[in-house]
Amino acid sequence: MQSQDIINVNIWLILISLCNLVILFFILKKFLFKPVKKILGERQAEYDAKFAEAEGKLAEANEIKDALEEKFAGADDEVDKIIKEAKDNAQRRGDSIVAEAKDKAGIIVKNAEAEADLRKRKAAESIKNEIADVSVEIAEKIIGREVSEKDHRRLMSDFIDKIGEDDGADQ
Amino acid sequence: MNSKRKGRSSRALDILIIILAVLPILACIVLKVLTNPASEGINISGPLIYFHIHMPIQDLYITESQINSLAVVISVFWLCIYLTRGLKTRPDKKRQIVAEWIVEKVDGLVKNNMGSYFKNFPPFIAAIMALSAFSSLLSLAGLFPPTSDLNVVGGWAILVFILITHYKMKCGPWQYAKSFASPVALAPLNVISEVATPISMAFRHYGNVLSGSVVSVLIGAALQGLSAKLFSWLPGALSGVPFLRIGLPAVLSIYFDVFSGCLQAFIFAMLTMLYVANGFPEELYFKRKEKKNNKNNNKVKVR
Repeated sequence: MQSQDIINVNIWLILISLCNLVILFFILKKFLFKPVKKILGERQAEYDAKFAEAEGKLAEANEIKDALEEKFAGADDEVDKIIKEAKDNAQRRGDSIVAEAKDKAGIIVKNAEAEADLRKRKAAESIKNEIADVSVEIAEKIIGREVSEKDHRRLMSDFIDKIGEDDGADQ
Repeated sequence: MNSKRKGRSSRALDILIIILAVLPILACIVLKVLTNPASEGINISGPLIYFHIHMPIQDLYITESQINSLAVVISVFWLCIYLTRGLKTRPDKKRQIVAEWIVEKVDGLVKNNMGSYFKNFPPFIAAIMALSAFSSLLSLAGLFPPTSDLNVVGGWAILVFILITHYKMKCGPWQYAKSFASPVALAPLNVISEVATPISMAFRHYGNVLSGSVVSVLIGAALQGLSAKLFSWLPGALSGVPFLRIGLPAVLSIYFDVFSGCLQAFIFAMLTMLYVANGFPEELYFKRKEKKNNKNNNKVKVR
């Protein structure tokens, strides 16, 4: 079998290899670059769409978040108001209860004082009577004669009343 | 069930495509083995001539390099079909990632080296790289690498030269002529350097690949001779076994066939990009374009 020289120039062979390169260029352009570029473009479009969608969703979420936050802030105010109202109510109620209790206590004290006064007076009366009786008896015994009880009693009573009045003034 | 059948048929189609991609190269090997009896000794020659056709200027020889480059083109075509089969916006196959990687790498390379004006160049650069690299790698299969034929590489270099001239002519032939006379005295040298560009590109690529195979053959022959001297005392058939040829030629093949082949492909592509981009008078072209647009706009306004 014949073979070519190592260095040889043949125009037709040069032309053939030139055409080979051009053909391979078109093959690569049509069958490798075009489909891959197309798919890359599609992917880019898909990602862009996804990104835009995500952006929209994010904005929506932020809106909801803002609304909720506003609501929460309002709720806080409301709670504060309710608590304050309740506190005020309780305060007022407590005050009224205390005032009522004070009134009641005042009445009770007054009643007690009045009763005590009454008792005291009663006691003083009875003591007065007893003292009068005792003094009449003593006087009868000492004098040995009957003292006119009526007069005596009046005398004693005046005397004791005077003492009682003095006592009352001291007190 | 249906999807299962579909998956099976798709896999069968994949295998068929791979077979179709490998078949041309296998056919080349078979053709070479059938027509070329094994030769002994040092044999450095050009590509085998299968047949020749009488043509006007020179006879057209259909040689190994033509057949092999055609096989590479067909293989690359099927490889492209295989890589871009079943592309999805969400890749679920490794081959799609490979295809996208190739496209994006070449795109980035062209953009970095040439600028954004040369949008249509990535497929051309990829074609140069693929054709050159696969042609050089054919030597791994024991075939004649078409890149060690001056005509093949010369064709590519001439195409590159046409492209350089085309882009230099973008501002009109007068500007093109003027670019050679930047210092008027050096005009002849500039013309020579312009013509030397494709020749140097072609000879660089051709020489590198050819020298690689020449060195490989020489080292193989030397090791065979050495082992024949060293191991001739061994009894019987063992004395004829070239033990030294085991190992070292494989390592050299990795350098000369794989590394050098891919490197030369890359260099050829890089030089193409640089020459075309440098030849294109970018600033002047855009200035003129702007002026033209302004003129057109003025015309429209007058109307």
